[in-house]
Amino acid sequence: MSDDFIYLDYAASTPVDPRVTRLMLECHESGFANPSSNHVAGRKSRAMIDNAAAQLAALLNVDPETLIWTSGATESDNLAIAGAARHRAHRGKHLVTLMTEHKAVTDVFGMLEKEGFEVTWLTPDESGHLDPAVFAAALRADTQLASIMYVNNETGVMQDIASLGGICREHGVLFHVDAAQAVGKIAIDLQALPVDLLSLTGHKFYGPKGIGALYVADRPDCHIEPILFGGGQQRQIRPGTLPADLIAGLGLAADIAASCLEADFAHLAALRRTLWRGIRDVEGVLINGDIDAGFPGILNVSVANVEGESLLLELEPLCVATGSACNSTNQEPSYVLRALGRSDLLAQSAIRFSLGRPTSESEVEFAARRYRDGVARLRDLAPEAAA
Amino acid sequence: MTGDPYSPMVRQYFVRTSHAGDLPNAVSVALDQQGVHLRLAGTQENGRIQALRFRAWGCPHVIAACECFCDHYEGRPVPELSAFRAGDIMRKLSVPVEKTGRILVLEDAVRSLGRSFCDSSASPSS
Repeated sequence: MSDDFIYLDYAASTPVDPRVTRLMLECHESGFANPSSNHVAGRKSRAMIDNAAAQLAALLNVDPETLIWTSGATESDNLAIAGAARHRAHRGKHLVTLMTEHKAVTDVFGMLEKEGFEVTWLTPDESGHLDPAVFAAALRADTQLASIMYVNNETGVMQDIASLGGICREHGVLFHVDAAQAVGKIAIDLQALPVDLLSLTGHKFYGPKGIGALYVADRPDCHIEPILFGGGQQRQIRPGTLPADLIAGLGLAADIAASCLEADFAHLAALRRTLWRGIRDVEGVLINGDIDAGFPGILNVSVANVEGESLLLELEPLCVATGSACNSTNQEPSYVLRALGRSDLLAQSAIRFSLGRPTSESEVEFAARRYRDGVARLRDLAPEAAA
Repeated sequence: MTGDPYSPMVRQYFVRTSHAGDLPNAVSVALDQQGVHLRLAGTQENGRIQALRFRAWGCPHVIAACECFCDHYEGRPVPELSAFRAGDIMRKLSVPVEKTGRILVLEDAVRSLGRSFCDSSASPSS
Protein backbone atom coordinates (compact mmCIF):
# COMPACT_ATOMS: atom_id res chain seq x y z
CA MET A 1 0.00 0.00 0.00
CA SER A 2 2.88 2.34 0.79
CA ASP A 3 6.63 2.13 0.35
CA ASP A 4 7.49 3.57 3.73
CA PHE A 5 4.91 2.10 6.11
CA ILE A 6 2.62 -0.84 6.66
CA TYR A 7 -0.78 0.36 7.72
CA LEU A 8 -2.42 -1.76 10.42
CA ASP A 9 -4.59 0.92 12.01
CA TYR A 10 -7.89 0.43 10.18
CA ALA A 11 -9.87 0.86 13.39
CA ALA A 12 -8.61 4.44 13.53
CA SER A 13 -9.43 5.16 9.91
CA THR A 14 -9.60 3.43 6.56
CA PRO A 15 -8.36 4.66 3.19
CA VAL A 16 -11.11 5.89 0.91
CA ASP A 17 -12.03 3.29 -1.69
CA PRO A 18 -10.86 4.61 -5.11
CA ARG A 19 -14.38 4.13 -6.51
CA VAL A 20 -15.67 6.34 -3.70
CA THR A 21 -13.03 8.96 -4.43
CA ARG A 22 -13.99 9.06 -8.11
CA LEU A 23 -17.67 9.45 -7.30
CA MET A 24 -16.99 12.19 -4.78
CA LEU A 25 -14.93 14.13 -7.29
CA GLU A 26 -17.81 13.96 -9.77
CA CYS A 27 -20.29 15.02 -7.11
CA HIS A 28 -17.98 17.75 -5.90
CA GLU A 29 -18.29 19.37 -9.31
CA SER A 30 -21.87 18.58 -10.19
CA GLY A 31 -23.44 18.46 -6.71
CA PHE A 32 -22.22 21.75 -5.32
CA ALA A 33 -25.67 23.33 -5.09
CA ASN A 34 -27.52 23.55 -1.82
CA PRO A 35 -29.76 20.47 -1.69
CA SER A 36 -32.44 22.51 0.07
CA SER A 37 -32.71 24.85 -2.93
CA ASN A 38 -35.73 24.17 -5.08
CA HIS A 39 -34.08 24.60 -8.48
CA VAL A 40 -32.54 22.19 -10.96
CA ALA A 41 -29.04 22.29 -9.46
CA GLY A 42 -30.38 21.96 -5.94
CA ARG A 43 -32.56 19.03 -6.91
CA LYS A 44 -29.50 17.37 -8.46
CA SER A 45 -27.68 17.58 -5.14
CA ARG A 46 -30.80 16.35 -3.39
CA ALA A 47 -30.97 13.34 -5.69
CA MET A 48 -27.37 12.39 -4.83
CA ILE A 49 -28.24 12.50 -1.15
CA ASP A 50 -31.42 10.49 -1.63
CA ASN A 51 -29.47 7.86 -3.54
CA ALA A 52 -26.87 7.65 -0.77
CA ALA A 53 -29.57 7.38 1.87
CA ALA A 54 -31.07 4.48 -0.04
CA GLN A 55 -27.67 2.77 -0.20
CA LEU A 56 -26.99 3.18 3.50
CA ALA A 57 -30.56 2.21 4.36
CA ALA A 58 -30.13 -0.99 2.36
CA LEU A 59 -26.99 -1.86 4.30
CA LEU A 60 -28.85 -1.45 7.60
CA ASN A 61 -32.27 -2.65 6.37
CA VAL A 62 -34.08 0.52 7.39
CA ASP A 63 -36.24 3.19 5.80
CA PRO A 64 -34.01 5.97 4.36
CA GLU A 65 -36.19 8.51 6.18
CA THR A 66 -34.84 7.23 9.52
CA LEU A 67 -31.30 8.38 8.74
CA ILE A 68 -29.95 11.73 9.92
CA TRP A 69 -26.69 12.90 8.34
CA THR A 70 -24.07 14.20 10.76
CA SER A 71 -20.39 15.11 10.67
CA GLY A 72 -19.37 11.70 12.01
CA ALA A 73 -19.82 9.25 14.85
CA THR A 74 -18.83 11.74 17.52
CA GLU A 75 -21.64 14.07 16.55
CA SER A 76 -24.04 11.16 16.12
CA ASP A 77 -23.23 9.91 19.62
CA ASN A 78 -23.59 13.39 21.10
CA LEU A 79 -26.88 13.99 19.30
CA ALA A 80 -28.35 10.62 20.20
CA ILE A 81 -27.42 10.62 23.87
CA ALA A 82 -27.88 14.28 24.79
CA GLY A 83 -30.88 14.61 22.47
CA ALA A 84 -32.71 11.58 23.86
CA ALA A 85 -31.84 12.18 27.50
CA ARG A 86 -33.02 15.80 27.40
CA HIS A 87 -36.18 14.92 25.49
CA ARG A 88 -37.17 12.33 28.08
CA ALA A 89 -35.90 14.17 31.16
CA HIS A 90 -39.42 14.92 32.37
CA ARG A 91 -40.01 11.16 32.64
CA GLY A 92 -36.83 10.32 34.51
CA LYS A 93 -33.16 11.20 34.67
CA HIS A 94 -31.44 7.85 35.03
CA LEU A 95 -29.10 6.70 32.25
CA VAL A 96 -26.97 3.58 31.80
CA THR A 97 -23.75 3.02 29.90
CA LEU A 98 -20.53 1.01 29.92
CA MET A 99 -17.15 2.17 31.22
CA THR A 100 -15.42 0.95 28.05
CA GLU A 101 -17.40 3.11 25.64
CA HIS A 102 -15.64 5.54 23.32
CA LYS A 103 -14.97 9.04 24.67
CA ALA A 104 -17.60 10.37 22.26
CA VAL A 105 -20.08 8.54 24.49
CA THR A 106 -18.53 8.74 27.96
CA ASP A 107 -17.88 12.47 27.72
CA VAL A 108 -21.53 13.14 26.83
CA PHE A 109 -22.70 11.14 29.83
CA GLY A 110 -20.22 13.08 31.95
CA MET A 111 -21.74 16.32 30.71
CA LEU A 112 -25.26 15.06 31.41
CA GLU A 113 -24.23 14.22 34.98
CA LYS A 114 -23.35 17.87 35.39
CA GLU A 115 -26.83 18.74 34.08
CA GLY A 116 -28.39 16.68 36.88
CA PHE A 117 -28.80 13.27 35.23
CA GLU A 118 -27.76 10.17 37.15
CA VAL A 119 -25.56 7.75 35.21
CA THR A 120 -24.87 4.12 36.08
CA TRP A 121 -21.46 3.15 34.72
CA LEU A 122 -21.32 -0.60 34.18
CA THR A 123 -18.09 -2.58 34.26
CA PRO A 124 -17.51 -5.38 31.74
CA ASP A 125 -16.04 -8.73 32.67
CA GLU A 126 -12.31 -9.22 32.12
CA SER A 127 -12.86 -10.29 28.51
CA GLY A 128 -14.70 -7.01 27.88
CA HIS A 129 -18.23 -8.39 27.64
CA LEU A 130 -21.25 -6.94 29.36
CA ASP A 131 -23.35 -9.62 31.01
CA PRO A 132 -27.00 -9.01 29.99
CA ALA A 133 -28.07 -9.95 33.54
CA VAL A 134 -25.82 -7.21 34.94
CA PHE A 135 -27.29 -4.80 32.40
CA ALA A 136 -30.89 -5.75 33.26
CA ALA A 137 -30.21 -5.30 36.96
CA ALA A 138 -29.00 -1.75 36.34
CA LEU A 139 -32.25 -0.61 34.71
CA ARG A 140 -34.74 1.18 36.96
CA ALA A 141 -38.23 2.56 36.67
CA ASP A 142 -36.79 6.00 35.94
CA THR A 143 -34.17 4.80 33.40
CA GLN A 144 -34.72 6.55 30.09
CA LEU A 145 -31.69 5.70 27.94
CA ALA A 146 -28.95 3.11 27.70
CA SER A 147 -25.96 3.32 25.38
CA ILE A 148 -23.74 0.33 24.60
CA MET A 149 -21.26 0.11 21.74
CA TYR A 150 -21.43 -2.71 19.21
CA VAL A 151 -17.71 -3.34 18.60
CA ASN A 152 -15.16 -1.88 20.98
CA ASN A 153 -12.67 0.29 19.14
CA GLU A 154 -9.70 -0.82 21.22
CA THR A 155 -10.32 -4.52 21.79
CA GLY A 156 -12.77 -5.55 19.08
CA VAL A 157 -15.07 -7.04 21.72
CA MET A 158 -18.61 -7.39 20.37
CA GLN A 159 -21.52 -6.93 22.75
CA ASP A 160 -24.71 -8.97 22.59
CA ILE A 161 -26.75 -6.13 21.14
CA ALA A 162 -29.81 -8.30 20.47
CA SER A 163 -30.10 -9.36 24.11
CA LEU A 164 -29.30 -5.92 25.53
CA GLY A 165 -31.77 -4.24 23.18
CA GLY A 166 -34.44 -6.79 24.06
CA ILE A 167 -34.00 -5.97 27.73
CA CYS A 168 -34.37 -2.26 26.95
CA ARG A 169 -37.60 -2.90 25.05
CA GLU A 170 -38.99 -4.85 28.01
CA HIS A 171 -38.24 -1.92 30.30
CA GLY A 172 -39.32 0.87 27.94
CA VAL A 173 -35.79 2.24 27.82
CA LEU A 174 -34.41 3.83 24.65
CA PHE A 175 -31.37 1.94 23.38
CA HIS A 176 -28.50 3.72 21.61
CA VAL A 177 -25.67 1.78 19.95
CA ASP A 178 -22.37 3.32 18.91
CA ALA A 179 -21.72 1.19 15.83
CA ALA A 180 -18.81 3.17 14.41
CA GLN A 181 -16.63 0.03 14.33
CA ALA A 182 -19.42 -2.28 13.21
CA VAL A 183 -21.25 -0.69 10.28
CA GLY A 184 -19.88 -1.88 6.97
CA LYS A 185 -17.93 -4.63 8.71
CA ILE A 186 -20.55 -6.94 10.17
CA ALA A 187 -24.11 -7.59 9.05
CA ILE A 188 -26.55 -5.31 10.86
CA ASP A 189 -30.28 -5.72 10.31
CA LEU A 190 -32.12 -3.00 12.18
CA GLN A 191 -35.47 -4.57 11.37
CA ALA A 192 -34.39 -7.53 13.48
CA LEU A 193 -32.27 -5.81 16.13
CA PRO A 194 -34.08 -3.96 18.94
CA VAL A 195 -32.08 -0.75 18.54
CA ASP A 196 -33.61 2.74 18.67
CA LEU A 197 -30.61 4.92 17.88
CA LEU A 198 -27.44 3.90 16.05
CA SER A 199 -24.34 5.96 15.29
CA LEU A 200 -21.97 5.43 12.38
CA THR A 201 -19.27 7.20 10.43
CA GLY A 202 -18.04 6.93 6.85
CA HIS A 203 -14.29 6.79 7.35
CA LYS A 204 -14.33 3.50 9.24
CA PHE A 205 -15.56 1.59 6.19
CA TYR A 206 -13.60 3.09 3.29
CA GLY A 207 -15.74 6.20 2.97
CA PRO A 208 -14.78 9.82 3.55
CA LYS A 209 -14.10 11.58 6.84
CA GLY A 210 -16.41 14.34 7.99
CA ILE A 211 -19.63 12.51 7.30
CA GLY A 212 -21.64 10.12 9.43
CA ALA A 213 -25.19 9.29 10.25
CA LEU A 214 -27.55 8.63 13.09
CA TYR A 215 -30.37 6.14 12.73
CA VAL A 216 -33.44 7.23 14.66
CA ALA A 217 -36.13 4.56 14.80
CA ASP A 218 -39.48 5.58 13.37
CA ARG A 219 -41.41 5.02 16.58
CA PRO A 220 -43.63 7.50 18.40
CA ASP A 221 -41.60 7.34 21.62
CA CYS A 222 -38.23 7.63 19.88
CA HIS A 223 -37.66 11.35 19.65
CA ILE A 224 -34.51 13.36 20.22
CA GLU A 225 -33.92 17.05 20.66
CA PRO A 226 -31.42 18.85 18.43
CA ILE A 227 -28.07 19.92 19.82
CA LEU A 228 -27.39 22.28 16.92
CA PHE A 229 -29.68 25.12 15.85
CA GLY A 230 -29.99 27.14 12.70
CA GLY A 231 -32.46 25.68 10.22
CA GLY A 232 -35.15 23.11 9.84
CA GLN A 233 -33.25 20.53 7.83
CA GLN A 234 -33.45 16.82 8.55
CA ARG A 235 -36.72 16.70 10.45
CA GLN A 236 -35.65 19.65 12.64
CA ILE A 237 -33.18 17.30 14.33
CA ARG A 238 -29.93 18.31 12.66
CA PRO A 239 -29.70 21.63 10.82
CA GLY A 240 -26.98 22.60 8.39
CA THR A 241 -26.39 22.46 4.65
CA LEU A 242 -25.72 18.88 3.62
CA PRO A 243 -22.46 18.03 1.75
CA ALA A 244 -23.75 16.04 -1.21
CA ASP A 245 -20.28 14.85 -2.26
CA LEU A 246 -19.39 13.41 1.15
CA ILE A 247 -22.81 11.84 1.55
CA ALA A 248 -22.62 10.30 -1.90
CA GLY A 249 -19.23 8.87 -0.94
CA LEU A 250 -20.58 7.36 2.24
CA GLY A 251 -23.49 5.89 0.32
CA LEU A 252 -21.24 4.20 -2.21
CA ALA A 253 -18.95 2.94 0.58
CA ALA A 254 -22.04 1.39 2.19
CA ASP A 255 -23.06 -0.16 -1.11
CA ILE A 256 -19.60 -1.65 -1.61
CA ALA A 257 -19.51 -2.91 1.99
CA ALA A 258 -22.87 -4.61 1.53
CA SER A 259 -21.50 -6.53 -1.43
CA CYS A 260 -18.43 -7.87 0.38
CA LEU A 261 -19.35 -8.15 4.08
CA GLU A 262 -18.88 -11.91 4.24
CA ALA A 263 -15.70 -11.93 2.17
CA ASP A 264 -14.21 -9.10 4.26
CA PHE A 265 -15.08 -10.89 7.49
CA ALA A 266 -13.48 -14.15 6.33
CA HIS A 267 -10.40 -12.28 5.07
CA LEU A 268 -9.94 -10.48 8.38
CA ALA A 269 -10.45 -13.66 10.39
CA ALA A 270 -7.75 -15.44 8.39
CA LEU A 271 -5.34 -12.54 8.79
CA ARG A 272 -5.92 -12.31 12.52
CA ARG A 273 -5.27 -16.04 12.90
CA THR A 274 -1.95 -15.62 11.08
CA LEU A 275 -1.01 -12.62 13.19
CA TRP A 276 -1.88 -14.30 16.48
CA ARG A 277 -0.06 -17.49 15.46
CA GLY A 278 2.99 -15.37 14.83
CA ILE A 279 3.09 -13.71 18.24
CA ARG A 280 1.30 -15.99 20.67
CA ASP A 281 4.54 -17.71 21.72
CA VAL A 282 6.13 -14.46 22.90
CA GLU A 283 6.62 -14.90 26.63
CA GLY A 284 4.12 -12.89 28.66
CA VAL A 285 1.88 -11.89 25.73
CA LEU A 286 -1.85 -11.83 26.32
CA ILE A 287 -4.93 -10.80 24.39
CA ASN A 288 -7.01 -7.84 25.51
CA GLY A 289 -10.50 -8.91 24.57
CA ASP A 290 -11.91 -12.13 23.25
CA ILE A 291 -10.24 -13.73 20.24
CA ASP A 292 -13.04 -16.29 19.85
CA ALA A 293 -15.99 -13.90 19.90
CA GLY A 294 -14.52 -10.55 18.96
CA PHE A 295 -14.51 -8.66 15.67
CA PRO A 296 -11.66 -10.23 13.66
CA GLY A 297 -10.34 -6.93 12.35
CA ILE A 298 -8.81 -6.08 15.72
CA LEU A 299 -6.13 -7.85 17.74
CA ASN A 300 -5.09 -6.05 20.90
CA VAL A 301 -2.22 -7.56 22.86
CA SER A 302 -0.28 -6.61 25.95
CA VAL A 303 3.07 -8.00 26.92
CA ALA A 304 4.70 -8.19 30.30
CA ASN A 305 7.92 -6.32 31.08
CA VAL A 306 8.07 -4.21 27.94
CA GLU A 307 7.65 -0.43 27.84
CA GLY A 308 4.81 0.48 25.50
CA GLU A 309 6.11 3.68 23.92
CA SER A 310 9.44 2.09 23.07
CA LEU A 311 7.65 -0.94 21.66
CA LEU A 312 5.60 1.32 19.41
CA LEU A 313 8.76 2.95 18.05
CA GLU A 314 10.44 -0.44 17.74
CA LEU A 315 7.55 -1.62 15.57
CA GLU A 316 8.04 1.04 12.91
CA PRO A 317 7.31 1.02 9.97
CA LEU A 318 4.14 -0.61 11.24
CA CYS A 319 1.33 1.86 11.78
CA VAL A 320 -0.41 0.46 14.84
CA ALA A 321 -2.01 2.02 17.89
CA THR A 322 -1.42 1.97 21.60
CA GLY A 323 -4.80 2.22 23.24
CA SER A 324 -7.18 4.44 21.32
CA ALA A 325 -5.70 6.30 18.39
CA CYS A 326 -8.23 9.04 18.99
CA ASN A 327 -6.39 9.67 22.23
CA SER A 328 -2.82 8.85 21.28
CA THR A 329 -1.40 12.13 22.51
CA ASN A 330 -2.32 11.05 26.02
CA GLN A 331 0.34 8.80 27.55
CA GLU A 332 -2.00 7.62 30.32
CA PRO A 333 -2.80 3.90 30.22
CA SER A 334 -5.98 3.11 28.33
CA TYR A 335 -9.09 3.44 30.52
CA VAL A 336 -10.69 0.66 28.47
CA LEU A 337 -7.93 -1.80 29.31
CA ARG A 338 -7.86 -0.65 32.94
CA ALA A 339 -11.60 -1.43 33.10
CA LEU A 340 -10.77 -4.96 31.92
CA GLY A 341 -8.53 -5.31 34.96
CA ARG A 342 -5.16 -4.77 33.26
CA SER A 343 -2.42 -3.20 35.38
CA ASP A 344 -1.09 0.20 34.34
CA LEU A 345 2.06 -1.42 32.93
CA LEU A 346 0.19 -4.06 30.95
CA ALA A 347 -2.28 -1.49 29.64
CA GLN A 348 0.59 0.78 28.68
CA SER A 349 2.28 -2.02 26.74
CA ALA A 350 -0.87 -2.70 24.68
CA ILE A 351 -0.61 -2.67 20.91
CA ARG A 352 -3.74 -2.64 18.78
CA PHE A 353 -3.31 -4.20 15.37
CA SER A 354 -6.35 -3.44 13.24
CA LEU A 355 -6.63 -5.06 9.86
CA GLY A 356 -8.54 -4.05 6.78
CA ARG A 357 -9.68 -5.01 3.32
CA PRO A 358 -6.31 -4.14 1.70
CA THR A 359 -4.20 -5.95 4.35
CA SER A 360 -2.19 -8.87 3.00
CA GLU A 361 -0.96 -12.08 4.57
CA SER A 362 2.66 -11.01 4.05
CA GLU A 363 1.99 -7.76 5.91
CA VAL A 364 0.70 -9.52 9.00
CA GLU A 365 3.54 -12.04 8.84
CA PHE A 366 5.98 -9.12 8.76
CA ALA A 367 4.10 -7.48 11.64
CA ALA A 368 4.37 -10.63 13.74
CA ARG A 369 8.12 -10.87 13.09
CA ARG A 370 8.58 -7.22 13.92
CA TYR A 371 6.65 -7.64 17.17
CA ARG A 372 8.66 -10.68 18.25
CA ASP A 373 11.97 -8.99 17.42
CA GLY A 374 10.97 -5.71 19.05
CA VAL A 375 9.93 -7.33 22.30
CA ALA A 376 13.13 -9.39 22.35
CA ARG A 377 15.35 -6.36 21.75
CA LEU A 378 13.68 -4.20 24.41
CA ARG A 379 13.90 -7.02 26.93
CA ASP A 380 17.56 -7.42 26.05
CA LEU A 381 18.10 -3.71 26.71
CA ALA A 382 16.39 -3.79 30.09
CA PRO A 383 18.00 -4.49 33.46
CA GLU A 384 17.22 -7.96 34.78
CA ALA A 385 14.87 -6.64 37.45
CA ALA A 386 12.65 -5.00 34.80
CA ALA A 387 12.87 -7.70 32.13
CA MET B 1 8.57 14.43 9.57
CA THR B 2 6.09 16.99 10.88
CA GLY B 3 4.72 16.12 14.29
CA ASP B 4 7.31 13.42 14.89
CA PRO B 5 7.71 13.13 18.67
CA TYR B 6 11.28 11.92 18.21
CA SER B 7 14.14 13.99 16.89
CA PRO B 8 16.52 12.40 14.37
CA MET B 9 19.13 12.07 17.13
CA VAL B 10 16.70 10.26 19.41
CA ARG B 11 15.85 7.88 16.60
CA GLN B 12 19.53 7.33 15.82
CA TYR B 13 20.55 6.60 19.40
CA PHE B 14 17.43 4.48 20.05
CA VAL B 15 18.22 2.23 17.11
CA ARG B 16 22.01 2.03 17.57
CA THR B 17 22.41 1.09 21.19
CA SER B 18 26.00 -0.03 20.91
CA HIS B 19 26.57 0.66 24.62
CA ALA B 20 23.74 -1.52 25.85
CA GLY B 21 24.93 -4.37 28.01
CA ASP B 22 27.14 -5.14 30.98
CA LEU B 23 30.82 -4.76 31.86
CA PRO B 24 32.80 -7.25 33.88
CA ASN B 25 34.54 -5.89 37.00
CA ALA B 26 32.80 -2.55 36.59
CA VAL B 27 31.42 -0.03 39.02
CA SER B 28 27.66 0.06 38.63
CA VAL B 29 24.61 1.89 39.89
CA ALA B 30 20.93 1.04 39.52
CA LEU B 31 17.89 3.28 39.88
CA ASP B 32 14.17 2.54 39.67
CA GLN B 33 12.21 5.80 39.60
CA GLN B 34 9.64 7.69 37.50
CA GLY B 35 8.69 4.52 35.64
CA VAL B 36 12.31 4.08 34.54
CA HIS B 37 14.56 1.14 35.42
CA LEU B 38 18.15 2.06 34.77
CA ARG B 39 21.56 0.52 35.37
CA LEU B 40 24.83 2.22 34.48
CA ALA B 41 28.17 0.46 34.62
CA GLY B 42 31.62 1.83 33.96
CA THR B 43 35.31 1.23 34.27
CA GLN B 44 38.05 3.82 34.76
CA GLU B 45 41.77 3.98 34.41
CA ASN B 46 44.00 6.78 35.66
CA GLY B 47 41.05 9.04 36.33
CA ARG B 48 39.54 8.62 32.90
CA ILE B 49 36.40 6.72 32.00
CA GLN B 50 37.46 3.66 30.07
CA ALA B 51 34.12 2.12 29.16
CA LEU B 52 30.43 2.70 29.86
CA ARG B 53 27.44 0.42 29.45
CA PHE B 54 23.77 0.79 30.28
CA ARG B 55 20.61 -1.21 30.60
CA ALA B 56 17.30 0.65 30.57
CA TRP B 57 13.57 0.01 30.68
CA GLY B 58 11.82 3.17 29.65
CA CYS B 59 10.57 5.32 26.83
CA PRO B 60 12.62 5.97 23.66
CA HIS B 61 13.92 9.26 25.03
CA VAL B 62 15.39 7.51 28.07
CA ILE B 63 17.05 4.81 25.99
CA ALA B 64 18.42 7.37 23.53
CA ALA B 65 19.69 9.57 26.36
CA CYS B 66 21.49 6.64 27.96
CA GLU B 67 23.19 5.69 24.70
CA CYS B 68 24.08 9.31 24.00
CA PHE B 69 25.58 9.72 27.48
CA CYS B 70 27.70 6.56 27.16
CA ASP B 71 28.84 7.53 23.68
CA HIS B 72 29.84 11.01 24.81
CA TYR B 73 31.57 10.30 28.12
CA GLU B 74 33.81 7.35 27.31
CA GLY B 75 37.43 8.55 27.49
CA ARG B 76 36.60 11.68 29.47
CA PRO B 77 37.86 12.56 32.95
CA VAL B 78 35.81 11.06 35.77
CA PRO B 79 35.18 14.44 37.46
CA GLU B 80 33.20 15.56 34.41
CA LEU B 81 30.43 13.18 35.46
CA SER B 82 29.54 15.55 38.29
CA ALA B 83 28.87 18.25 35.71
CA PHE B 84 26.37 16.13 33.76
CA ARG B 85 23.03 17.93 33.46
CA ALA B 86 19.73 16.47 32.29
CA GLY B 87 18.92 19.78 30.63
CA ASP B 88 22.02 19.59 28.40
CA ILE B 89 21.17 16.18 27.00
CA MET B 90 17.49 17.13 26.67
CA ARG B 91 18.47 20.11 24.53
CA LYS B 92 20.87 18.02 22.48
CA LEU B 93 18.25 15.35 21.77
CA SER B 94 15.23 17.71 21.73
CA VAL B 95 13.52 15.78 24.51
CA PRO B 96 10.10 17.28 25.34
CA VAL B 97 9.77 18.98 28.68
CA GLU B 98 7.21 16.44 29.96
CA LYS B 99 9.97 13.82 29.91
CA THR B 100 12.16 15.85 32.29
CA GLY B 101 11.47 13.59 35.27
CA ARG B 102 12.67 10.54 33.40
CA ILE B 103 15.86 12.17 32.14
CA LEU B 104 16.55 13.36 35.69
CA VAL B 105 16.74 9.68 36.64
CA LEU B 106 19.67 9.41 34.24
CA GLU B 107 21.24 12.51 35.80
CA ASP B 108 20.94 10.96 39.25
CA ALA B 109 22.46 7.72 37.98
CA VAL B 110 25.37 9.54 36.31
CA ARG B 111 26.14 11.52 39.47
CA SER B 112 25.93 8.35 41.51
CA LEU B 113 28.28 6.59 39.12
CA GLY B 114 30.77 9.45 39.47
CA ARG B 115 30.69 9.13 43.26
CA SER B 116 31.10 5.37 43.00
CA PHE B 117 34.17 5.84 40.81
CA CYS B 118 35.68 8.13 43.42
CA ASP B 119 34.81 5.72 46.23
CA SER B 120 36.34 2.79 44.39
CA SER B 121 39.53 4.80 43.69
CA ALA B 122 39.82 5.74 47.33
CA SER B 123 39.26 2.24 48.68
CA PRO B 124 42.41 0.23 49.58
CA SER B 125 41.39 -2.67 47.38
CA SER B 126 41.12 -0.65 44.19
